[in-house]
Amino acid sequence: MEANELAMEFSSDVWPDWCPGCGNFGIFTALKQALKEAGVEKEKFILVSGIGCSGKIAHFVNVSGVHTLHGRAIPFATGIKASNPSLHVMVHGGDGDLLGIGMGHFVALGRRNAEILVVVHNNGVYGLTKGQASPTLALGTKTKSQAFPNINQAVNPILLGMAAGYTFLARGYAYNIEHLKRLFVEGLSHKGSGILEIIQPCVTWNNIVTMDWVAKNTYYLKDWDPLLNDLGQANEKKKRIMDLENGEKKALGIFLKDLTKKTHAEMVASINKAYLEHPPAEQGLLTNGEIPKLDINRVLQKYSL
Amino acid sequence: MDLNIIVGGPQGGGIETAGLLAIRACANQGLEVFAAREYHSNIKGKHSYSHIRTSDKEIGSIRYPVDALGVLDAESLATHFKELKKGGLLVHDTALASKSLLKIPSMEKEKVHRLRKDLEENKVGESVAQLDDWLSKKGIRVLSLPFSKLLVEADVATPLIDKTMNTAVIGALLHSMGIKQNALEGAVSHLFSNKKEVLEANLRAIQRVCALTRPLDGYIEGKADRANRYLVAGNDAVAIGKLLGGLRFQTYYPITPAADESFVLEQATEIYCPNGKLLGPPLVIQAEDEIAAVTMAIGGALTGARTATSTSGPGFSLMIEALGWAGNCEVPLVITMYQRGGPSTGLPTRNSQSDLMFAIHGGHGEFARIVLASGDHSEAAYDAIKCMNYAEEFQVPVIHLLDKGIANCLTTIKEIPMVTINQGTRYTRPESEYKRFKFTSSGISPRAFLGEALMWYTGDEHDEWGHISEDSINRIQMYRKRIEKSRLILSRVPEEDKAVLFGSENYDDLIITWGICKGAVVDALDSINEGDRKVAVLQVRMMEPFPSEIVRKFTGRASRLISVEGNYMGMLAELVEGKCKVDIPNRILKFTGRLISEDEVVHAYKRLKDEPRIILDGGE
Repeated sequence: MEANELAMEFSSDVWPDWCPGCGNFGIFTALKQALKEAGVEKEKFILVSGIGCSGKIAHFVNVSGVHTLHGRAIPFATGIKASNPSLHVMVHGGDGDLLGIGMGHFVALGRRNAEILVVVHNNGVYGLTKGQASPTLALGTKTKSQAFPNINQAVNPILLGMAAGYTFLARGYAYNIEHLKRLFVEGLSHKGSGILEIIQPCVTWNNIVTMDWVAKNTYYLKDWDPLLNDLGQANEKKKRIMDLENGEKKALGIFLKDLTKKTHAEMVASINKAYLEHPPAEQGLLTNGEIPKLDINRVLQKYSL
Repeated sequence: MDLNIIVGGPQGGGIETAGLLAIRACANQGLEVFAAREYHSNIKGKHSYSHIRTSDKEIGSIRYPVDALGVLDAESLATHFKELKKGGLLVHDTALASKSLLKIPSMEKEKVHRLRKDLEENKVGESVAQLDDWLSKKGIRVLSLPFSKLLVEADVATPLIDKTMNTAVIGALLHSMGIKQNALEGAVSHLFSNKKEVLEANLRAIQRVCALTRPLDGYIEGKADRANRYLVAGNDAVAIGKLLGGLRFQTYYPITPAADESFVLEQATEIYCPNGKLLGPPLVIQAEDEIAAVTMAIGGALTGARTATSTSGPGFSLMIEALGWAGNCEVPLVITMYQRGGPSTGLPTRNSQSDLMFAIHGGHGEFARIVLASGDHSEAAYDAIKCMNYAEEFQVPVIHLLDKGIANCLTTIKEIPMVTINQGTRYTRPESEYKRFKFTSSGISPRAFLGEALMWYTGDEHDEWGHISEDSINRIQMYRKRIEKSRLILSRVPEEDKAVLFGSENYDDLIITWGICKGAVVDALDSINEGDRKVAVLQVRMMEPFPSEIVRKFTGRASRLISVEGNYMGMLAELVEGKCKVDIPNRILKFTGRLISEDEVVHAYKRLKDEPRIILDGGE
């Protein structure tokens, strides 16, 4: 309770309009506590979200929020981070947003390894349009808003993220705030693209993934070391994550913290030496009301007669 | 002096280089130059060509018939022989003589069909040699040389012979047309300066063919000043403008004819800060699709970086949802949009001006935007800077509208544009809390960048803080704030960025045009004015918000209005009709994907009295 009160400074003055009992409240609380614990500078922290119930979180947290388009939070965030690497950038989106309409970007961010934590609010349904099946809903499942059982296979965000190259993989549960907060704090400090999948009961539309279901079908990772700092161990680590994910129950905790890969910013800087010193958002290269004084004469040479 | 030359060959066979060589050689000799490049959506084997025009006066278009034709294959001859003027020069390798013109696998069947008919009607056999004979009788000067053999004699290494054939053919052609050996050598030296062995082979090829040919009508001489001139394609011009104007972040997804611009930007490694320190190139990200390209660019713009994304019609289609987001969130986003033939994949490598209405109207809902259309390479560079300025000054998305014609044509720009930077109203940290969408008398809220203050953005309707609001009264205020910026834009943008008149202010006929067509119409103006009516040209540059007042001022003085455009509808004509309440029954239109040439404008203008709507079909 004390931590919760302390985290109030990370609440904006906008009323969170999620359904009473929504898993998003747990995510919201854990996030605020994590931001407090990590001591983030509010103006330097950019929360980028997609569309749907999850997307609204950008307005409720008292950091700068960019509430974007359905499926597109990741490329917005990538542009922000790439232009100003000094900002902290976190993405929030639903399973439909990030793994349905936005799947291409989800994969692309893993390939880039930009320092962005993607938080997947996984409730198995499209909540804000009244509960249609999402890409993470299990085959054959029929929630109360569907006319027929789901005929599509589900995607696993952790395994997809691993295949795409994400270097931080974790799964939490919306109602275990203390555990989720720790995942947020770990994810925030990770240097690379990360996925934090959160099992989030949708109390209104998903009558399958309930608190009871979660209690029976999940377990917490114990004696599992997520750290990977030796490329030679990568295959073995990934095989073991596959094994975990092929189990009957879903594991909660941090699967992978891979420190063997360069970040997007480091990769850019390896080609463009001045990138980190002069990132695109650097001010002062131009002066309002004056002719630009950037020297491009060497570039012009190849065109001169 | 006004020479038109076509050099054609299979794609991947060095035609691009031959065209560059020709245009640089002519420019080296002090001539004005303009070159069009036509190619298929194909990497190797299909027909491509460069149409190079060189003159002692400034030019912005190509003209038919041509004075010389150099071909590397039989298809190029089959395609272009009819475009040669009487007395013109044809150059090819003697090895082509036995080739059949009707059995070329890469030739499209429609073209073969037309050619067969032509040959039959003129009683010409189907071999190159037979066509050569017929052309000679018609007054064409045929120069058939054993280029492979000549290259062997010139000690060009065997693996380089095929690769030097283009230089040999274009060298022989240009020397015969009066371009001096040293101008050709200068061009070759520039093109191959990084490859010693290739350079030497090409120089030997030039020397060999110059020794064997002579200028048919003497050497030609130009007086154009070469200092501070830059030979560029439109893609280069836009990139140069962006670099000068402080662009630091560009995103793109590969698409013709836009991608070359991004290559120039990412390779612009040697940019220096005002204090002399290395700054390096802008960050260029090749995104996973155009949706990512535009949304990354928006993200960049929110951080204060001067940001653009560059695309063509199909990519722009994918960007539209995000364009609306940028409009709603008042983001200074620049989209550089090169039109090509549509709909769908259409003619991916050909010219078109059929996206005017799309650029103006694309997107759901209503929001302010600027659409600025450049008409030549100098404007393209200048407008690239202006677009970034306007985006920041008015906090609106800006679409810089170009076309494949400008993107790929080559010409010289006389000077690098000098444009004063305008970054708009910036936020300075006050005591009170920051409101990103603060209501102000101008409608422009002081802009803070992400990282400078707390702020919120949403695609939903929002309040002054940027939080979602569905309140009716806020809706009216915020809606008006966003959309009524159009009036401010119209009042602040100078007239020269809106519409430009060419020719005398005293006219009977006014030709309204835009984009790449401007060059052909302006070039045609002298010939057109030889008739009994006085004619002027109005180039419209700002398409949105539409400068109705200025355009009406010009249309009001004319007794007859004519539009010249690269589309079927006459989109600019429709726009002017609607906005200025005038009638434009006369339309000269072309949608084959090929450029409108100067001669086409001249002839079409004469036909207008019998035929108000003319569809042009010139060029291959």
